[in-house]
Amino acid sequence: MQKKLAVVGMVCPFPLIEAKQEMETLQSGDELVIDFDCTQATEAIPRWAAEAGHSVTNFEQIDDASWTITVQKK
Amino acid sequence: MILTGLLCGALLGFVMQRGRFCLTGGFRDMYLTKDNRMFYALLIAISIQSVGVYALIQMDLIKFSAGAFPWVSTIIGSFVFGIGIILAGGCATGTWYRAGEGLIGSWIALFGYMAMAAMMKTGALVPVNNSLKDYTAPHNSIADTFGISVWPFIALLVIITLWVVIRTLRKPKVAIPSMKAKRKGLNHLLFEKRWHPFFTAVLVGLVALLAWPLSEATGRNSGLGITTPSANILQYLVTGDDDKFINWGVFLVLGIFLGSFIAAKGSREFRFRAPDAKTAVSSFIGGILMGFGASWAGGCSIGNGLVMTAMMTWQGWVSLVFMILGTWTASYFVFVRPRTKAKRQASAATAAATA
Repeated sequence: MQKKLAVVGMVCPFPLIEAKQEMETLQSGDELVIDFDCTQATEAIPRWAAEAGHSVTNFEQIDDASWTITVQKK
Repeated sequence: MILTGLLCGALLGFVMQRGRFCLTGGFRDMYLTKDNRMFYALLIAISIQSVGVYALIQMDLIKFSAGAFPWVSTIIGSFVFGIGIILAGGCATGTWYRAGEGLIGSWIALFGYMAMAAMMKTGALVPVNNSLKDYTAPHNSIADTFGISVWPFIALLVIITLWVVIRTLRKPKVAIPSMKAKRKGLNHLLFEKRWHPFFTAVLVGLVALLAWPLSEATGRNSGLGITTPSANILQYLVTGDDDKFINWGVFLVLGIFLGSFIAAKGSREFRFRAPDAKTAVSSFIGGILMGFGASWAGGCSIGNGLVMTAMMTWQGWVSLVFMILGTWTASYFVFVRPRTKAKRQASAATAAATA
């Protein structure tokens, strides 16, 4: 299952807080697609994913100051 | 000569934007995620500056006098400042460089910060600003209190810093996923590659060191500073008195904005981003608390947290401690409590549903 989390417009650290919260509701193997535009999250979200043991299946810049990252729950 | 401030600020803004050097986030995460990396990075920047500046002082190239230590206003001001930077979503410098990234919320915070600092320094709130300045300890310099040279203290700081840095670097690393590189060479290194916070900290320390001789050459005897210069911009704009208010520091903070804009534009990270109403209000209140706190404390996270610490003063280190406590207090109310409350409500709801 894939779920989308739109946190565009949210400032740090809220995108990460929202992502963590959303992740708790998912099953192992589910994917969370996070669209965000807060620059610091380009560092904070992949770091959290790696440290929590989730895998990142997609991470790219879509436009000026907007990114998307897909995190698969471990 | 005054324009060297613009260069120094631009370097700082560039480095901070690309290195994601955020002290607010760093102090906050010490509490929220038990992550001390940014704090250790700050120690690196302080150490480099400390060794460098005291070497310059030893060579008689620059002068520094710590003066007395207004401890009550430093403690209260720093704590209030700490609360403010959480609400504003960035410290004074962080707000300047995020403004350069196009975040309108940071512009709002910046305005609150400038206005409040100007009111405290030359406006209606001067009596408030001065009200606690009588509570002073005679020595601000830690070395003077003990009546010995400053070097043993610097050596101690360097040893502690090396210890925590080496310990952190030795930890087993997790591979952090990154975006596919689209650029090559210098373009990749400057505008795309992720910088290690410790590497960024070394650069910040060097810029902070560079600030001393450049600023001194214009007759301004101190290093990096954000609050007074930010207030100076507004004071100049409303009084038109350039002799009094236009100085090296003003160009420094404008440089931070410019450097960050160049960095963000070059790496496709610039875009005007408008906050929602709640964030806008929080940014404004944060900015006001920042201006109020930093004026009372005699410095922000840069002036006290990075520069006065490097100068081995009580003001710097005491301020740093209370600033961090302020960010933790605000983090509890902004990030921790709403979540535990929501959780409790959710579990109460399920309990009611299954009952």
